[in-house]
Amino acid sequence: MSWEKICGVSDVPENALEKFEVNGIELVVANYGGGFRAFPPRCPHMEEALCDSAVLFDGMLTCTKHLWQWDMGSGEKTGIAEKELLFYDVKQEGGDLYAQVDEALVYEDDDDEDEDEDDEDFFNAD
Amino acid sequence: MPARNHKQWSAKPDLELGEWVDSRIYSDEEIFEEELDKLWKKSWIALCHESELPEPYDFRTGIIAREPVIMVRGPDNKVRAFLNVCPHRGMTIERRPSGSFAPAQPSGNPKHMTCLFHAWQFDMKGNCVDIPRQKEGYQDRLDKSSQGLRALRCEVKYGGFVWVCLDDHTEFNVETWAAGAMDCIKDSLDAEPLELIHYHKAIIDCNYKLWHDTNSEFYHDYMHYHNRITGFNDDYFQRECSAYDNGHVNVGTFTVNYEEYDVAEDRGTLSFPNLPPDNWYMVDMFPGLNFNLRGSVVRMDLMTPLSANQVMIEFRGFGLKSDSPEDRAHRIQHHNSIWGPLGRNLHEDLIGVAGQGTTMTPKSEPRRILHGRHEGAYIHDEIGMRHFYESWGKKMDRLPSDPEQKYKAGKVMGPEMPPAKGLSTFAGKGA
Repeated sequence: MSWEKICGVSDVPENALEKFEVNGIELVVANYGGGFRAFPPRCPHMEEALCDSAVLFDGMLTCTKHLWQWDMGSGEKTGIAEKELLFYDVKQEGGDLYAQVDEALVYEDDDDEDEDEDDEDFFNAD
Repeated sequence: MPARNHKQWSAKPDLELGEWVDSRIYSDEEIFEEELDKLWKKSWIALCHESELPEPYDFRTGIIAREPVIMVRGPDNKVRAFLNVCPHRGMTIERRPSGSFAPAQPSGNPKHMTCLFHAWQFDMKGNCVDIPRQKEGYQDRLDKSSQGLRALRCEVKYGGFVWVCLDDHTEFNVETWAAGAMDCIKDSLDAEPLELIHYHKAIIDCNYKLWHDTNSEFYHDYMHYHNRITGFNDDYFQRECSAYDNGHVNVGTFTVNYEEYDVAEDRGTLSFPNLPPDNWYMVDMFPGLNFNLRGSVVRMDLMTPLSANQVMIEFRGFGLKSDSPEDRAHRIQHHNSIWGPLGRNLHEDLIGVAGQGTTMTPKSEPRRILHGRHEGAYIHDEIGMRHFYESWGKKMDRLPSDPEQKYKAGKVMGPEMPPAKGLSTFAGKGA
């Protein structure tokens, strides 16, 4: 595991979300006031782009599509969220922010896994 | 014969059953409604082409018999069709003609179809994957897993056309539905991927069958002196019409003399794969679909009946996906010079059927529409229409020449004629 420089600390103002790419891997950096978090760019619910659609306020990250929320301080899901966010480890050194992004964190995809439905039985089923 | 009074005008013509129809089949609203159910909802319709939804999560919407249909390409690259209807409150899910579900929508997520009304979301296989506040609203009484979209039978066939059939229990797949009618162009369409190069549509105040009729006989071309001296040689009028089961007809090929056309160039070098240079086949698929393979371009007309006296016709042109930009430009020019809105012959056909539509509005006085010419099943022969209306009569169980009566077989071929190629069952005399 190696630390990669993501950005300057001042590149992400408080309560802002910014998207960066390191080693070909996209991640979102959140400045929640108490520190920084880095996570994959898509909501684990339905793949919403969190950088565009999430709101960061009072230490709480909220995806505006279905109001799933995560506490940035503890890193845990809260409210109606059903899945945890995955985080890259981050650290501040000097004026810069570093993260460990050796490989992309991915959520288990729970759709598109069902059997093919287009056999003859499908259209003749009761 | 001198001019006729009402009784004389309404009398049966001196032709045999099957050689004319009653104009009420083009104008009666009850018959029209019945056609939607018995014909359009039972037939395989090529609603679009796969090149209109080339990437995963692309979609195309369309209509069959007033039912809104959406075709989507899944992440597995398979094209599926559904009713474009939300199972919640019956809202149209997608209102654009085409686009992509890959980006997020205002009230929905990326890679999903989302109903704008209450944000129910569906994946590309039609599964309902999100009902907002499902637990709060339905407790455990209703689960999204039971709320999938209405899937429709869908096949990609004959050069990448997306065929949809509203009848779950149809006895046909696309190939058995075509019953051999597409075989004459199949090898050309399937040789390599096609791509849409032209689209326009016309809404015409006429019954959809009148557009079919004008594609079923070509002897109206003979009446245009211009055609007879410019490219439509004697071979053109020797093209053979062949009838196939389920009401389809095709017209055999001939070699077009493009050098005799004004402003036209030879198309031999750009002619489709497996097609002799400058040849031209046409296939009429029951009840309202028409394929023309003409040298360098394929045209497909899709009719969508809107009312007894109104039809939407969508005109699509296709080239090869592998075309260089220069070849593509030539194909587009070839297409438009003949079939574009300002081309050589399309507007003539539209004027013809619009004129018929004017005389056959709902409740207009019935009259006889004749298609009794027998000329060896060549272009001057009206076998195409007779065959179509025999199939129409069987499927509707109405007699085309007297639609209040039940169907009985009429005369398709002259007694001196051999059965047309491809037909396994035959209603007319001389079979």
